[in-house]
Amino acid sequence: MTTIEVYQAKDYKSELKPIWCPGCGDFGVVQAIYRALASIGRSPHDIAFVSGIGCSSRIPGYTTAYGFNSVHGRALPIAQGIKMANPELLVLVAGGDGDGFSIGGGHVAHAIRRNLDLTYIVMDNQIYGLTKGQLSPTSPKGLKTASSTYGSMEDPVNPLLYVLGYGCRFVAQGTPADMMGLAKVIEEGIRFPGFAFINVLSPCVTYGQADQQLKTQKARMEPLEALGHDSTDRLKAMALAQDYGTKLHTGVFYRDPNPDPSYEVFMKERQGELDERALPRERILDLFVPEM
Amino acid sequence: MTEDLIIGMAGSGGDGIVSAGDSMMTALAIEGYYAMLTKSFGPQIRGGESSFRLRVATRPVLNPGGTLDVAVALNWDDFMKFGAELPIGGRTVVIYDTNTGVAPDALPLRGVRPAEVVPVGIEKMARDTVGTEKAKNTVVLGLVAGWFGLAQDSILAGIKKRFIKKGPEVAEKNEQAFNAGVRYAHEHPLRTVSHMAPPPEGPRSKLVTDGNEMCGAAAIFSGCQFFGGYPITPSSEIMQFLNREIWKYGGSMLQAEDEIAGVGACVGASFAGQKALTATSGPGMSLKTEMLGLASIAELPLVCVNVQRGGPSTGIPTKSEQSDLFQACFSAHGDVVRPVLAPLHVEDVFGLTVEAFNIAEHYQTPVILLSDQELSQRKEAVARIDTTRFAVVNRRTPAEHELEDYVRFRITESGISPISHPGMKGGNYLASGIEHTERGAPTANGEIHARMNEKRVRKFAPLKDRRDLFLLEGHPDAPIGLVSWGTLAGVALEAMRLAEAEGLRVKVLVPKLLYPVAEHVYQDFFGSVTRGLVIEQSHQGQLYRLVRMFVDVPRGVESFCRSGSNPIAPQDVLERVRTQMRAIQNGYAPVQQVG
Repeated sequence: MTTIEVYQAKDYKSELKPIWCPGCGDFGVVQAIYRALASIGRSPHDIAFVSGIGCSSRIPGYTTAYGFNSVHGRALPIAQGIKMANPELLVLVAGGDGDGFSIGGGHVAHAIRRNLDLTYIVMDNQIYGLTKGQLSPTSPKGLKTASSTYGSMEDPVNPLLYVLGYGCRFVAQGTPADMMGLAKVIEEGIRFPGFAFINVLSPCVTYGQADQQLKTQKARMEPLEALGHDSTDRLKAMALAQDYGTKLHTGVFYRDPNPDPSYEVFMKERQGELDERALPRERILDLFVPEM
Repeated sequence: MTEDLIIGMAGSGGDGIVSAGDSMMTALAIEGYYAMLTKSFGPQIRGGESSFRLRVATRPVLNPGGTLDVAVALNWDDFMKFGAELPIGGRTVVIYDTNTGVAPDALPLRGVRPAEVVPVGIEKMARDTVGTEKAKNTVVLGLVAGWFGLAQDSILAGIKKRFIKKGPEVAEKNEQAFNAGVRYAHEHPLRTVSHMAPPPEGPRSKLVTDGNEMCGAAAIFSGCQFFGGYPITPSSEIMQFLNREIWKYGGSMLQAEDEIAGVGACVGASFAGQKALTATSGPGMSLKTEMLGLASIAELPLVCVNVQRGGPSTGIPTKSEQSDLFQACFSAHGDVVRPVLAPLHVEDVFGLTVEAFNIAEHYQTPVILLSDQELSQRKEAVARIDTTRFAVVNRRTPAEHELEDYVRFRITESGISPISHPGMKGGNYLASGIEHTERGAPTANGEIHARMNEKRVRKFAPLKDRRDLFLLEGHPDAPIGLVSWGTLAGVALEAMRLAEAEGLRVKVLVPKLLYPVAEHVYQDFFGSVTRGLVIEQSHQGQLYRLVRMFVDVPRGVESFCRSGSNPIAPQDVLERVRTQMRAIQNGYAPVQQVG
């Protein structure tokens, strides 16, 4: 008999004290994650929360889930290995914009097309905070930073278009300026049966741009729901995603109305089809007995 | 009666060289012979010249051998492209197709007089029986079977089975081609080579496989349930084997987007509680090293196979080399010990792969298994392996009382802390590449860092007492000591036998555990040694230098090394041993090599 346990947001909060600067957007993100997890109601020990390296990648340690604060840019491959090894787990992935779209940028496309049932939350602050203020892949062109003294000469990555372009089946955006709204899209991402991407504009109070702080975000926010956006329409989602960097749309850009089964469904089918053909492990070498 | 025979054959693409080698190998294995088959190809992806070298013996074959006993040339231009792989010498019988138009006294062999030269109308026999020159390889199989009394029935059974798919007429004609070869051989006996002795253990079939597939099978035996990797020559067959097999055991495999993601997925699967394997070659190892550092500090079990090839960079990906030893031992960032193992031959790949998983799981560490191109691609007919002799070790998970207040990285006496995995209630912890406290909390405290480093290094101490991971052969008091590893060990062992046959006292030490360096084992070995060789396939002599880093190596022990693709034969080693023995007898003082 299993007893049904009811979890509250606080049950997902660990005893570790965050190292984040006071006022960091990531405080709001972790709160939103606690709430989303409480709504889902899985036991903390059935959750694996994987991150890369960066300020935001400290986040798994602030939850009571099994956490993995791994290496820079590689949270997605590790998370996929976890999910393949144990598809019953709820697997969350998080990291910063540098982690996801610079050093780990090559993994995003493949995680999307592979489509394991993961939820990937990028805390996009458009700067490298942990290393003290260098240019990030989402920094706006012209931005002066510690590593772009005279202003950046590169176009920024548009994370929303990037993932939509690769065929991501669930794409949303949020901000800790609207913590309840953020908790809602995270919950929806987790419930979505496949790879879900959530971009969170989580401002850096120390190295971030003055006009990107929570207060400004609150004023600029344009919930997609209020715009009457049809989130089943990928092309309309892409059109709205073009506004990244100029407007702050929140909510779900795209949710595949008829999602394909996720990878682990195919995996289980294959395992089920083939298991009868297995030689007992101790007889595996019989495969090498020659036949003419 | 011959007990050991080396046959080499070369021709153009389309001559069926490879399939002739495979057929012969399979037939010999079925009849109970030991054998080793190595194939070489030109650089073309398809077509082009190809060759094989098959060594068949009545006892286990240790290495592909040196000079051929029998050389079969369907075409001299192609044959000569494999000059290094297929050396012809004074005791070789050369069989070639008369259609090459080369006179027996005008063979393109620089200054070598073969024991016997036999021009045969191979193509003509093929045309006369099957009606096409495509059957040349079948004729050659007949010739070899006839001259050496080799596996005639099994080869013929194989030919029938293979060609029956193309209709009974084709099968019938190929049987005629084979019989024509056998008949020719019987009517024209060779002067210099006699029939092969029957296998001493009777006609019980051997196992036939290569190092890559054996590695995959051993992984399955060990309970490996996850493979993550990326295609790279010459390791891809490990991935391909597991792609066929691992699903059957409830496991899964991922051909990842790159080498990093391949090993990353393994780290994830291991964190989730599964045994995981990745396989690659030198350049892929370089890409994986950051992730191996993570596995070391997060104390996650993982086996990483490096099938070495000529390097650096792309180097010579189709040729064997032992030049990634330094990389295996020392490419880690931070104060890390990573066990490095290397198997000797295909049979050994089984036990050592199992050992790699056992060490990984027991010590919660990445383990590097160093194979090489030759081992991975060559086929061997080996004795049946009794798998029940091999224990399978699983990681120690926390007991119920340990989960009441779980401390993932508890500093224990052994340095090994019970490891939980997601899904285990009460085992929740933070794994991280960041230095951490015993409870897994990130820390920058120097004292904790030192204690954790000490724990993570100390836990490997028992490995240095694993004398079973060393092979020691020869007279214990021998003054000449040979040290070798991996596929070259077979060359050293055979050289020792040749030396013993000449009355020279030689012993051999083969480390299968390369790192951490077990100083005592080497010191004990060198106790009686005044001269010796460290034999390996690398330019710098990496094992020689590695051992000198940890052990007082006697001054008279020299490095004997060659870059990959430059074979070292047992005879080459024997020459050096003779020279060293003369030096000992004449009382010359050894001069240590410098540089």
